[in-house]
Amino acid sequence: MNKIKALIIEDEKPARDLVSKYISGIERLELLGEYDNGFSGLKAIQELQPDVVFLDVQMPKLTGFEMLELLDYKPEIIFTTAYDQYAIKAFEHSAVDYLLKPFSQDRFGEAVNKLVERIDSGTAKDDQFARIRRHLEESEENINRVVIKKAGKIHVISTDKIYYLEAQDDYVMIYTADERFLKQQTMKYYESHLDANSFIRVHRSYIVNIQTIDRIEPYEKTNYILILKSGSKVPVSRSGMQVLKEKLNF
Amino acid sequence: MSHPFTTQRKSLIIYSLVWLIIAAIYTVVLVFKKEFSLTISLTEAFLSNITYGLLGLIIWYPTNYIPFKKEVPVYSISAHIAAGLIIIFTWLFATNGLLSALFGSDPIYNNYIQTSFFWRGFVGGMIYLVLVLIYYLIAYARSLREKAQNEEKLRTLVKESELNMLKSQINPHFLFNSLNSISSLIISNPDEAREMIIRLSEFLRYSLKHRENEFVTLDEEIGRMKDYLAIEKIRFGDRLEYKLGTHGSCGKQRVPTMIMQPLVENAIKHGVYESLEPVYVEFSCSIEEGLLVLLLKNNFDPDQPARPGTGVGLQNVSERIRLAYDGKGRMSKRVLDGVFIVTLYIPTNQ
Repeated sequence: MNKIKALIIEDEKPARDLVSKYISGIERLELLGEYDNGFSGLKAIQELQPDVVFLDVQMPKLTGFEMLELLDYKPEIIFTTAYDQYAIKAFEHSAVDYLLKPFSQDRFGEAVNKLVERIDSGTAKDDQFARIRRHLEESEENINRVVIKKAGKIHVISTDKIYYLEAQDDYVMIYTADERFLKQQTMKYYESHLDANSFIRVHRSYIVNIQTIDRIEPYEKTNYILILKSGSKVPVSRSGMQVLKEKLNF
Repeated sequence: MSHPFTTQRKSLIIYSLVWLIIAAIYTVVLVFKKEFSLTISLTEAFLSNITYGLLGLIIWYPTNYIPFKKEVPVYSISAHIAAGLIIIFTWLFATNGLLSALFGSDPIYNNYIQTSFFWRGFVGGMIYLVLVLIYYLIAYARSLREKAQNEEKLRTLVKESELNMLKSQINPHFLFNSLNSISSLIISNPDEAREMIIRLSEFLRYSLKHRENEFVTLDEEIGRMKDYLAIEKIRFGDRLEYKLGTHGSCGKQRVPTMIMQPLVENAIKHGVYESLEPVYVEFSCSIEEGLLVLLLKNNFDPDQPARPGTGVGLQNVSERIRLAYDGKGRMSKRVLDGVFIVTLYIPTNQ
């Protein structure tokens, strides 16, 4: 039997120790390494290409979910979390397994058995990621940052640093004061997950952060255009203007 | 309920316009069908319609006081018949009197006034019915809107109280992660695990007192904060350093229970939870001009975005102090070179 290669990504040492201990109790598993944050964990996944990652959801800077968005190599994921505020419940009926802390060796064993079954039967794991993504998109929690990989570097962008977003086919271009980042995501997702007090869909292809608006100018006959503090220009549709008027009270 | 027409300019204009249009049509009918002179026709049409327009405004009040009941509405109907008759006869006698005084010398017109008496009464009754119907619809629409608004208000209130309840509870993340740490330590270091269970118990027992809104000595409050931080220290290791000290007479001062807890938890949540670098939490206290000054500092990662819910915990503390000391206590917060500083000012006990 070939070994199943595992990684632990978890920011609390006692929690890492426990998973490590549980892993050592299962012969089929081989622990490749332990990482205490999302950045080093991400690098390790790409380099070591494990079969499974035991992934903590809440970690500083880069949560377990945000990490997944950035992965090119996609291992099986078993989430570990203390509290199900992260829409974890949504995973209950999917193949993705999660362990609620504290969990027993038996519960851990169950998750591993399911994993072994999936690996041995060769069930495609690619759709696991699609499923996680879908679950996250369905969650109603607002996001306060966006993670993006650009030229091999990971950028964690606080949403209040975002000036505006522009639709580009299957992607969204995110503009900050002096940079822009391409992210594979839908406008609809950002429209519903960015704080509605700041971000307004002013046009079919544009969402703007109203804190960054410098002025509004008429454009051609009936249209308007936004001039942002960065100097960028964003077109406004008629219905977009309506929403802006309501939001800004003018 | 306020009058729908007289209190709103827009609807008053519409109401007047409708009456003017009716008057205009009536004028045309009188001129072409009855072949009265333009003066007579105009006067008759506008006099009767303006009078009814004014009386029509009054109809709102009986409508408002006569409830519309779904069961056999004997009372409503008879009340409306009475009110209707009063309105219609007032209208008929007023207009007829005025019109005969003005144009009674014209025999054809005088005859018309006499013969059309019952016909006018009938039309007046119809108008009364229409107006009552409109008023009832307006009142109904209003009560619907009011009901929706009340429900909305109630929902916000319920949500608020639920939120307050949640806020007063221990952060579940803290609890479950601590239990997980204990579960791990039981294998690797049973002595430390027992130590952690004891600290957790002390802390939980103390936090239950919170509901009784008691006062405790600062020494006791800080002692429990030490338990809390010791537990977090086991979870986070080198990422958390802390120093809590009370000097001299400070420790004997009394403060509301769990008043420091949200501040310390805040330091952990926004400092340690979100930083890869070590976070240093420091508490100190002093007495200045009759005020107990409690100061808590922690460094944090300035790059992190503001987390949702930021400030709610602190606002609660501020509110509690304000209420507990009749506005003589207060809280202030500031950021200085990447260090977050919260200060509580509490009147001393003497």
